[in-house]
Amino acid sequence: MNAATETYNYKVVRQFAVMTIVWGIVGMLVGVLIAAQLAWPALNFDLPWLTYSRLRPLHTNAVIFAFGGSALFATAYYVVQRTCHVRLCDDRLAAFTFWGWQAVIVAAAITLPLGYTSSKEYAELEWPIDILITVVWLAYAYVFFGTILKRRVQHIYVANWFYGAFILTVALLHVVNSAALPVNFLKSYSVYAGVQDAMVQWWYGHNAVGFFLTAGFLGMMYYFVPKQAERPVYSYRLSIVHFWALIFVYIWAGPHHLHYTALPDWAQSLGMVMSLILLAPSWGGMINGIMTLSGAWQKLRTDPVLRFLIVSLSFYGMSTFEGPMMSIKTVNALSHYTDWTIGHVHSGALGWVAMVTIGSMYFLLPRLYGREIHSTRLIEVHFWLSTLGIVLYISSMWVAGIMQGLMWRAVNTDGTLIYSFVESVQAMHPFYIIRTLGGAMFLVGMLIMAYNLWKTCAGAQPATAPIPLPAGAH
Amino acid sequence: MLIQHVVGFFLHPVHEWEDVRRQDLSIARALGHTLILGAIPVVSGYIGTTQFGWQIGTAETVKLTQWSAGIISLLYYLVILAAVFSIAWMIRWMGETYGAKQPLARCVVLAAYIPIPLFLVGIVQLFPVLWLNLLIGIPAAAYTVFLLYLGIPVMMEIPVERGFLFASAVLAFGLVGLVGVLAATVILWSVGFGPEFTIP
Repeated sequence: MNAATETYNYKVVRQFAVMTIVWGIVGMLVGVLIAAQLAWPALNFDLPWLTYSRLRPLHTNAVIFAFGGSALFATAYYVVQRTCHVRLCDDRLAAFTFWGWQAVIVAAAITLPLGYTSSKEYAELEWPIDILITVVWLAYAYVFFGTILKRRVQHIYVANWFYGAFILTVALLHVVNSAALPVNFLKSYSVYAGVQDAMVQWWYGHNAVGFFLTAGFLGMMYYFVPKQAERPVYSYRLSIVHFWALIFVYIWAGPHHLHYTALPDWAQSLGMVMSLILLAPSWGGMINGIMTLSGAWQKLRTDPVLRFLIVSLSFYGMSTFEGPMMSIKTVNALSHYTDWTIGHVHSGALGWVAMVTIGSMYFLLPRLYGREIHSTRLIEVHFWLSTLGIVLYISSMWVAGIMQGLMWRAVNTDGTLIYSFVESVQAMHPFYIIRTLGGAMFLVGMLIMAYNLWKTCAGAQPATAPIPLPAGAH
Repeated sequence: MLIQHVVGFFLHPVHEWEDVRRQDLSIARALGHTLILGAIPVVSGYIGTTQFGWQIGTAETVKLTQWSAGIISLLYYLVILAAVFSIAWMIRWMGETYGAKQPLARCVVLAAYIPIPLFLVGIVQLFPVLWLNLLIGIPAAAYTVFLLYLGIPVMMEIPVERGFLFASAVLAFGLVGLVGVLAATVILWSVGFGPEFTIP
């Protein structure tokens, strides 16, 4: 036991970090393809498994769970070891989470294009895969919390609180939402019916955003931003306060996905109010991150990674303001079902989640291989490509979404609709081209990153890190 | 003087910011500048929506009534002025965090000169075809952001790196403001203050 505890377990971190890049490229490639299909429908080549309806869940699963998920596994394992000054509590179980999670992703990549789906958004995978996810997730929770239990420093750093909340809540969300009655090996039906099913779906769906894509990535932010800036967190007290506020409020916001549906009106209004309140804890995190970075301005000249982190926090602030605005029922009456929603999701997903992940990976991978980054120049190129790509994406979706909303509700004086649905689709064509271009730029940036990191790590011996003694004053 | 700066910002932007700083312009000058250049998108939009209109698919050309377009143009003008002054106020307020304390006039001038490219391309609103406006608007917006990142360190007299952070914060505030205006517009429209179209 003594010899094994001398070093950190970097192997599993390395594996997940490499797969983060791989799955990021795969997921975004599928995204660019389906974006192009919306502009030029012939691109499905009349093949069933290339149709938009089958590839769209593949895209969302790949970018959220394969790309985002691998990034969260990699960073959570890294951060919990480094901040607890201890090796992961169970190497074999950690390895199991890696291979298990990859098996889930491969199963998704096969079943979704074949058309096997539970039809639950962001939870399309059928029940055997859901069970595998549950097993892997419980192993993840065991490794993470087991490592915290045997920590050598008394204090649990705030990043671990965010990771811990994310792991626990996602377990709960996944099990409750995916409860289903199997008909056969690849078909099942949700145990909930009608509006209850819809409410459970969006309780899950919005908290997938709140805990998978926010709490987990805030954990990432709270470790990698101070590390890269080489400064302590601006306000540790604020980080604790906004942690608890975020945890308590997020869970209530789901009903804003069901405005003007069969869901009881009071539940819709409650969801809207909670979504508005959510602005405060969200901005707590943004302010803390930006203020931490503000003190590190001297480093900007030599460190392009900091730019990714700054921009990610700016987009986090923007999209967490946009979200509450869109949850207002009057605004939602126009924005719902339009591309404004798609733009909003991507300002969060590309602007916040992907940018903070990219920043963290540029920090992490060279360290895991004990090398300096191959080219800071290429990081800058990557930065500008992705930032411009996001701007093209969001601005085209804003205009497209509002135009759709206005066209759908436009009526003649006799009350008949002015535009048919097809006319609104036709009007979207130029915006869909601009969006595809923006997405493609982001993807090219990812390819540049992969090349840069490949040149950095190829041929290098994986680094081993001895565990330093905890500092005395804790 | 006005035209000279406008041209200068496209030919040699860094030099032009230094020039502007040296001249130490007053708030009144900045206001005048905003009133003149800000009128470009407003007047173009008014003419575009009432005279030329737009067409979606095969539907007939849509135009706004003079009265409705007039009210919207007035609100548009007010929003532009409010945006410039609130960004100026924000720059002054955030300056302390970034070690830059400058008089309000300096901040107003900065906020008024940054959006010059956006004011100028406002002229395309003569033809209110959304995708065309977006396509022309994006490079103008990009140049505006460029002027922001150049102008902040020069005008606030701080190092470039610190200016990068400062400018990013201003940009985030601008984006939030934009989304706020978007939401406010949708709410106003929904409660009955929408535009009136001419009956074809």
